[in-house]
Amino acid sequence: MRVQFASRNDLEAYLRTMFPDAEGGLSPLRGGNAAANRVLEAFDAGKYAATRNFLNGTVSRLSAYLRHGVLTLAGVRRHLLHKHRNLDRFLKFVQELAWRDYWQRVYAAEPDSIWHSAESLKTGRPESHYAAQLPADIQNANTGLACMDAFVTELKTTGYLHNHARMWFAAYVVHFCRIRWQAGAAFFLSHLLDGDPASNNLSWQWVASTFSSKPYIFNKENLEHYSSGTLCANCPSRKQCPFDATYEDLSERLFPHV
Amino acid sequence: MSKAVYWMQDDCLRPGPGLPSVYVFDTEKLLKEKWSLKRIGFIYECLLELDVEIRKGNPVEQVALFAQSHGASRIITLETPDPRLQSQQKELARGFTLQVELPEPFVELKGRIDLKRFSRYWQRAQGPAMRP
Ligand SMILES: Cc1cc2nc3c(=O)[nH]c(=O)nc-3n(C[C@H](O)[C@H](O)[C@H](O)COP(=O)(O)OP(=O)(O)OC[C@H]3O[C@@H](n4cnc5c(N)ncnc54)[C@H](O)[C@@H]3O)c2cc1C
Repeated sequence: MRVQFASRNDLEAYLRTMFPDAEGGLSPLRGGNAAANRVLEAFDAGKYAATRNFLNGTVSRLSAYLRHGVLTLAGVRRHLLHKHRNLDRFLKFVQELAWRDYWQRVYAAEPDSIWHSAESLKTGRPESHYAAQLPADIQNANTGLACMDAFVTELKTTGYLHNHARMWFAAYVVHFCRIRWQAGAAFFLSHLLDGDPASNNLSWQWVASTFSSKPYIFNKENLEHYSSGTLCANCPSRKQCPFDATYEDLSERLFPHV
Repeated sequence: MSKAVYWMQDDCLRPGPGLPSVYVFDTEKLLKEKWSLKRIGFIYECLLELDVEIRKGNPVEQVALFAQSHGASRIITLETPDPRLQSQQKELARGFTLQVELPEPFVELKGRIDLKRFSRYWQRAQGPAMRP
């Protein structure tokens, strides 16, 4: 295939003709080692532990480069060590790198099981109560929930989502809409630049409770806090927000048989 | 030693062992998994910085053609957990000598590791992961 392009637009037009079935255009996030090193240099690891759960907090954004081996986990660890001499201040970040290593090991141990639930659901419902398909309104950012619609729009245009947004979205799909985790996982894989069967499918299972001891859910207070209020402020559904309840009430509503 | 080529797979888009190298977009997989253009574009941009021939189609056929065009009987590639890639590796191993190398591990852990939950893995991994 071609390797010379006058511009990024030129590359995009070429790829459209070579892969006519692929949806959308290029991401603003660029591939390549030069881009990866810029992202790595810009990452302020010292701020990570305290702010990482906020949508506007400091996270590395290295995932797509790690997924595709442009950078390696060992290399990123070495870079931090070289820059800061020891890793004591970066325990949380190293632990998150380890999550990737962990999921890869789980995948490697049983590659053919990656689309199967590892354990049974702890939601008090059988899998047959969950829909097989992701509805069009969710896929088209048309639910009327400002948060979920924003996440889908960002996912589809950039191919990246903050970890907390991934967790909220997955919990919304699996527990609030009662859809099989596989449908959400497949949707993510077609868009995430870091899309990886191990990290993705096993994280969906962690939310769903087939790879954890209880389902992960969130409420409005939690989402509003970690998104700094930006999503809820102008939400068309704010008067009937399905997440506006205590955790006890939500658990009772979503999992009455547990 | 017989001539060798390097098959670069999508979890190791970095400089390889300095042999003639090929990457193949697995068109059937991309279609089946509905890969969006931005995912393909990201990989493509990574490849453009590397000394690698880019092809698309059936990876087994394309890698074999590439190896033949270089008169190579050995194919070097990296170990992967991906079952689709594993079965493609197996198929290529019928006609070529396939050398599957291990990528550098994040942490070296000896013996059996309990993978039931992250916490159990982390008990073993934390020491080596945090060590200077
Ligand atoms: C439903 C769901 C789906 C996900 N799908 C993917 C996926 O397809 N690919 C993927 O790489 N990650 C996935 N994750 C994990 C995590 O959300 C992303 O790795 C992270 O948000 C990437 O952003 P970052 O590089 O800024 O991460 P940082 O927080 O800066 O972390 C640094 C690196 O550590 C690794 N990492 C961090 N958190 C996790 C985690 N929980 N699990 C595995 N690795 C982690 C990633 O390689 C990441 O680049 C998913 C999480 C959820 C909840």
